Amino acid sequence: MSSIRRSTGFTLLVAAAITLSACGNNAAGNGNTATASGSPSQGNAPAQTAAATEKPAKQTLRILSGVAGGKTPEENEQFEQEIERLTGIEIEIEKPAADYSKKLMAALAGGEKYDLVYMGKTEMDQLVDQGVLTRLNDLIEASPVLSDPAVIEPGEWEQVKYGDGDIYSIFNKKEGGTLPIVRQDWMDKLELDQPTTLDEFYTVLKAFKEQDPDGNGQADTYGLSTSGLYDIQGFMSAAGVKYRYVIDSEGKRSIPYATEAAVPVYEWFAKLYKEGILDPNFATNDTAKMRELFLSDRVGMVTYWDAWVGLFNNMRQTEDPDTAFVAKGITGAAAPDGSYMLRRGDPSVWGIPVNAEHPDAAIAFMEFWHSEPGNILSTLGIEGVDWTKGSDGSYALTETGGEHGMDHGAPFPSNTKFVNPIGTLPGAMEAREMIFSNNSAVELSTADWPNAEKIVQSYAFKAMMGELPAAEAVKSMNAELKSAGLID
Amino acid sequence: MPRFRQHTGLYLMFIPVIVYFLIFLYFPLLRAFTISLQEFRMIGDRPFVGLDQYKAVLADPFFWQALKNTLMIGAGQLAFGFVASLLAALSLGEVLNPLFRKINQMILYLPHLFSWVIVGGIWIVLLSPDGGMINELLKLAGLGQPVHFLAEERYARWIMIGTSVWKEMGYTCIIYLAAMTLINPSLYEAARIDGAGRLKQLLYVTLPQLVPTMKTVFVLQLLGVLRMFDQLVVMRNPAIYREVDVLMTYVYENGIQQFQMDLASAASFLIIAATLLLTFIFSRVSKYDLS
Amino acid sequence: MQSYKIAAPAASKRGKGLNRRPRLWSGAADTRLHPALRAVNGLLLILLSLTMILPIWNSLIISLSGSLASMQPGLRFLPADFSLEGYQRVWSRMALWRPFMNNVIVTFAGTLLHVLLCSMAGYTLMIRFFPFKRLLVGFLFVTMTVPSEAILIPLYIVNKELGLLNTLSALVLSGIVSGFSILLMASFFRSVPYEMQESARIDGAGDLRILFRIYMPLAASGIATVTLFEFVSRWNQFTPALLYISDSSKYTLQIALRSLIILSDSTSGSDVTTPNVRMAGVMIAILPLLAIYPFVQRYFVQGLTAGAMKE
Repeated sequence: MSSIRRSTGFTLLVAAAITLSACGNNAAGNGNTATASGSPSQGNAPAQTAAATEKPAKQTLRILSGVAGGKTPEENEQFEQEIERLTGIEIEIEKPAADYSKKLMAALAGGEKYDLVYMGKTEMDQLVDQGVLTRLNDLIEASPVLSDPAVIEPGEWEQVKYGDGDIYSIFNKKEGGTLPIVRQDWMDKLELDQPTTLDEFYTVLKAFKEQDPDGNGQADTYGLSTSGLYDIQGFMSAAGVKYRYVIDSEGKRSIPYATEAAVPVYEWFAKLYKEGILDPNFATNDTAKMRELFLSDRVGMVTYWDAWVGLFNNMRQTEDPDTAFVAKGITGAAAPDGSYMLRRGDPSVWGIPVNAEHPDAAIAFMEFWHSEPGNILSTLGIEGVDWTKGSDGSYALTETGGEHGMDHGAPFPSNTKFVNPIGTLPGAMEAREMIFSNNSAVELSTADWPNAEKIVQSYAFKAMMGELPAAEAVKSMNAELKSAGLID
Repeated sequence: MPRFRQHTGLYLMFIPVIVYFLIFLYFPLLRAFTISLQEFRMIGDRPFVGLDQYKAVLADPFFWQALKNTLMIGAGQLAFGFVASLLAALSLGEVLNPLFRKINQMILYLPHLFSWVIVGGIWIVLLSPDGGMINELLKLAGLGQPVHFLAEERYARWIMIGTSVWKEMGYTCIIYLAAMTLINPSLYEAARIDGAGRLKQLLYVTLPQLVPTMKTVFVLQLLGVLRMFDQLVVMRNPAIYREVDVLMTYVYENGIQQFQMDLASAASFLIIAATLLLTFIFSRVSKYDLS
Repeated sequence: MQSYKIAAPAASKRGKGLNRRPRLWSGAADTRLHPALRAVNGLLLILLSLTMILPIWNSLIISLSGSLASMQPGLRFLPADFSLEGYQRVWSRMALWRPFMNNVIVTFAGTLLHVLLCSMAGYTLMIRFFPFKRLLVGFLFVTMTVPSEAILIPLYIVNKELGLLNTLSALVLSGIVSGFSILLMASFFRSVPYEMQESARIDGAGDLRILFRIYMPLAASGIATVTLFEFVSRWNQFTPALLYISDSSKYTLQIALRSLIILSDSTSGSDVTTPNVRMAGVMIAILPLLAIYPFVQRYFVQGLTAGAMKE
């Protein structure tokens, strides 16, 4: 009897709950319609979508952006208005404050319809794999702007081709790369020559450590700092080994950092570490820490993005116009044959999801993004907010524009015809040139890489910190990668 | 039926909770379970693949390593956190000056207000081999070479335990302080009449009276322990990944960051199952009736 | 082990002990520890507090430093190059008033409803026996084991279908009840002599009345605890706001500040936020939490006595 009573009670409860939730659904359904009519782009129900497409005037391009857009919510609105003013496309840019991939996944899988989404390389690989992105080859070919080799260099497309040359994305900007950045003023002060071999690098870094380059009378400087293995490619260059995977013509995977060729470089690091020339916090540094050490006279060399040569110089000069500080990119250590091997950054791109409602408008926006006014917007920013134009046609940054560092999504546009009217920051172009003229290639990663990377890093750290002899560390690294099936 | 009617008020008071969880938790959970049985795609059809994802997770050595790390760090955090917060509460209870007590109480709670990004960052500096405060103290004590605490595997888990206990101690302490105000004063009265001194009152009144609260606190923390995440993300580094990668970093790296929601869901359900198992074991061992 | 049990209900309700402040807190002569022990205790607490004050002190110092000085590694105890630049930057870069108000609305509404609903549910669970109690408890336990990542997408869909996207209601509703708070409330309610509930019931009082008139005042310190916890976590709430809000006029403080202090880690972007600006943001977000604490703290020394007197 009691069990019957119980189950009746439970059924009642569930019924009540369902009724309540159904009510909730209903009430909310009304609310939903209201929202939808409030912002036409958000039509969820198919009927609304159809209605929206019947009225072409009401097109709103919906973009999920990681970098492009205003720096603040207010500026983001101005950014949207500026695009509308320049292109006539009504636009809505969502720019999540953090956790971009989480938001991207929740929104796309949750049924949101974006016309354009921003992605990094890893995200693109996954989205292509899941069939989320529209194939763009035909649309790109049909576009006079995007197919113009002077706008996007033909070789660049190779980075985003899948299978038999299928392209699912359009570049956001032309990626630079990372390279060692040195305090040129310290080099000059200590009368050091630009190093090219590991031994010469050692001499320079040792002098930074021991000869008080900042002249404060304290032994508080390091020669070199990194953020973990990010980025030691400039030194691995001496051994001619590349980070992440290398896949040969038979599809065999190897990780050059886990081969014997890399041993001398690990040994070189171990020597730096032992002698206190390498910042001992390299293991725990994030890149911000590393940059801050460099900016605050605590370290003479770091490895970072080419564009940051300019930013470093600019930041110090803004703080103190009389500063002696000069940052300069250098090509790293040469292999015995005199060649260099630097790292080119992964492409950052835009893709059109298969459920996009306005793919044509998306392409039109991409054409704008890669045209002169788009380039100005993506670098300098918004006219009247970030910059102003004098009567003689010259450009000037406002205070806001200065703070934004000429980066509104694409500080270095793909468009080869574009010349920044303000001029790039000191040293940046030079460093970029080093990246592009030294055969710097993109690193190759697969879905397995995050797991492999942990093994590589763990043993590399042990070798660099002298806990294991480099040869032994590499041997163990290789063996563990093999047994985990991460290399062939 | 009369018994049921007698409790109508009680059920009514619980209904909002049931409704909320049915809509915002159980229903999504059901869909998440479906996802864990499918091959995930953000847009488009998702073919069913049965238990493949569960098999993949269970066959992954990284998952087991993460489970092991989680259990070890979690056990430490639970045990030491439990003792530390209780001691802090008792210790605060013995402070007579109300202002001193209030200020102390507030300060103990401060680290909880800061995110792990801030607190973790400060500990990274404190533990640094390069002039970090801990190493400076060791040097004063004449202990030779600076230790690179965060880059050595043998210290890694202990540091995660220690810093987490330190950060959350004041938070849990508040629960005990609140519970202490609810202890019936006549018990102390009776103890005093029996001639019990302050320490005896602590041992024979305060502690036994706090036992139910202790159990509740322990269960609440046990339920969350397999989901630790923020601290590890901030404080780990490649040198110690293998010691401190936990279940949720596994879910995050393999699932969310790589858009493999099927895998993330399957791993999540394993975490749910493991948590329920732990709770069950606890209730058996401690004879704590969960209801 | 010897242990003192609660005396008869009549005594505990109207016992003379209740007419005085609880001895634990009062500092009457016969309840003091030995002076030496007290000194040690105080000293240990001071030491502990000194470490605990580090995060806020360090953040404050960095926020008050000039941008270059704020980059110096290591901890500092005084600003190296005093400057309000960090705060000026935060202030000039964005209008924080609106996100701040949104945060206030979401936090106050959410906390109020949360405490109300959770104390009702906690009261239910405090009752020793009623049909299906185990079922309810099991129902609650499962909710506490679920990692938020697991239901990321389905929960987004639920919010979308209920028309909650881009509304502050979504943020208020998110976590409007929690197993944690309910179990905590139930635990605090259990400290109140059970007989009070029974006798009130015999006098014909309904459950709501018993809860509001007897339990909530008597367990005021428990209510204060849950309120404080919930207030803090709502004030700092980030992920729901990130996922469900895309209209910038509905941004909360945490989102607005985060979009300002985004770290361009391992990207080739060139947006720079110096540590002093970052920490100024952190300090701005934390001040309201510091301000509310003393209000709540009062209840940790009242509790039972205060409630009993009202009765």
